Amino acid sequence: MSDPVVTLKGVSLERWMRDEYAYDLKNQIFSILEGRHQKQTRKAVLSDIDLEIARGEKVGLIGPNGAGKSTLLKTICGILYPTRGEVFTTGNVVPLLELGAGFDPDLPVIENIILYGVLLGSSRKAMIEKVPEILEFAELQNYGSVPVRVLSSGMAARLGFAIATDVQPDILILDEVLSIGDEHFKQKCRRRLDRFWREHVTVIVVSHELEFIRQACDRAIWLENGRVAFDGPARDAVARYLSAIEREAMEAIASLR
Amino acid sequence: MTGNPSASAGSRFYELVRILTLRNLKMRYRGSVLGIYWSLLNPIIMTTVYSAIFSATFARYYQGSALRYALAVFIGLVAVNFFSAATTSALPALVSGGLLLNKIKLPPAIFPLSMVAAQSFQLLVGILPALAIITVLISRNPYHALLLPLPVAALIVLSMGVAFFVSSLYVFFRDIPYLYELVTFLLWLTVPIFYPVAIVPEQVRTFLWLNPLYPVIESLRQIALDGAMPDFRLIGIAGLESLGVLAVGWLVFAANRRKFMDFV
Repeated sequence: MSDPVVTLKGVSLERWMRDEYAYDLKNQIFSILEGRHQKQTRKAVLSDIDLEIARGEKVGLIGPNGAGKSTLLKTICGILYPTRGEVFTTGNVVPLLELGAGFDPDLPVIENIILYGVLLGSSRKAMIEKVPEILEFAELQNYGSVPVRVLSSGMAARLGFAIATDVQPDILILDEVLSIGDEHFKQKCRRRLDRFWREHVTVIVVSHELEFIRQACDRAIWLENGRVAFDGPARDAVARYLSAIEREAMEAIASLR
Repeated sequence: MTGNPSASAGSRFYELVRILTLRNLKMRYRGSVLGIYWSLLNPIIMTTVYSAIFSATFARYYQGSALRYALAVFIGLVAVNFFSAATTSALPALVSGGLLLNKIKLPPAIFPLSMVAAQSFQLLVGILPALAIITVLISRNPYHALLLPLPVAALIVLSMGVAFFVSSLYVFFRDIPYLYELVTFLLWLTVPIFYPVAIVPEQVRTFLWLNPLYPVIESLRQIALDGAMPDFRLIGIAGLESLGVLAVGWLVFAANRRKFMDFV
């Protein structure tokens, strides 16, 4: 493959199990004293993944819940570090986030725009210049100095989308395609995302909408239990994934009889 | 990305700490710059109360001057208050930043650091000038005021070290705040703030030096209240102890950095 922008070599990732963890120093000390201390266990989330993604490719990630799709995206973004193996990326990796929930409710809209823009990689100066543009896209021109708390959840979601997509990524990471707001704004969202598709941006998208993956992606990777079960043309990946689900369902029905 | 992609990691780190510090300050003062001077109110009230109760007994340890006693108490209080405010606010910083850490690639250190930075701003703008005025008036040597930033810097470095340490502990142990409250109280009690160190038994006095706040506060007092040449040895001890604490705090933080993501 020529010119890969994302390369994963033998990537395995284990995460500490937090559901059985007490988060409590007192209990930890007592359990050690009483000799019933259990060592924390790690669970393999990704196992031995090799991957190369070329510039401009649109890649879909499919698979059941808990297969490790989001973890794989986070590893490519550099949020999580592989336990073994290596991840190489070239260019700006930009995650497109659902920011609506993460705003600081007491800060004014403009302050939140600047704050999130800087967190996403811009400079403060660049963000101050971009404020009007973002407010306009979110259709919140009259709300600049209002605390985010006052916005409706739809307005906050629009603002989040406007900030998150006001970027020039080389590699765009999408965890489920965002489509928010009323029909009018949904159209706007789609147009903006389409732009990334037309431009020579590499897109990696997780979605449960298989029809979308089949149409929008050149290639799809089917993850199952943290391993690559299939990697190839989106049409084939979706077909194989669907027939595996069907087979599983048939077996489940058969075992009931 | 929207920013300058060639910007170095260092300037990106600085930019991130700055924006979070600004947010912390805005949340705290909500537009009123005078809010910074509220931070002087607590030590002034406390100093008044301590003076009313103890200065009759303790003034003789301070050249018989009730004013000197009051100022020594005030200096001790502002330093200890800064330390506990900075570290206590940094303690939950990693966990409350967890949502962001899980969505955007960010250096985790920016969260505790920006808390300490916001408190430091208050220290430098609100309290340092007050200390400078005291220094000029009492030591009668304006040059002494130029040396105040040294122990103040040691105090900030010390708080950063403890902030790294406690914020990483809090990721794994959510009952740390109760314990840390006890620790700050012990630190507060074992620095001679409202009592003269002379009343502490000789054998115990040596142990007070284990408290890293002690050399910082003694150095501040010596510079501000003593007409004599500032004691550079004391400043040196304060600086070295603080750097030591920073090194330990950072090591603990760095060793667990990758584990944070699985627990926040």
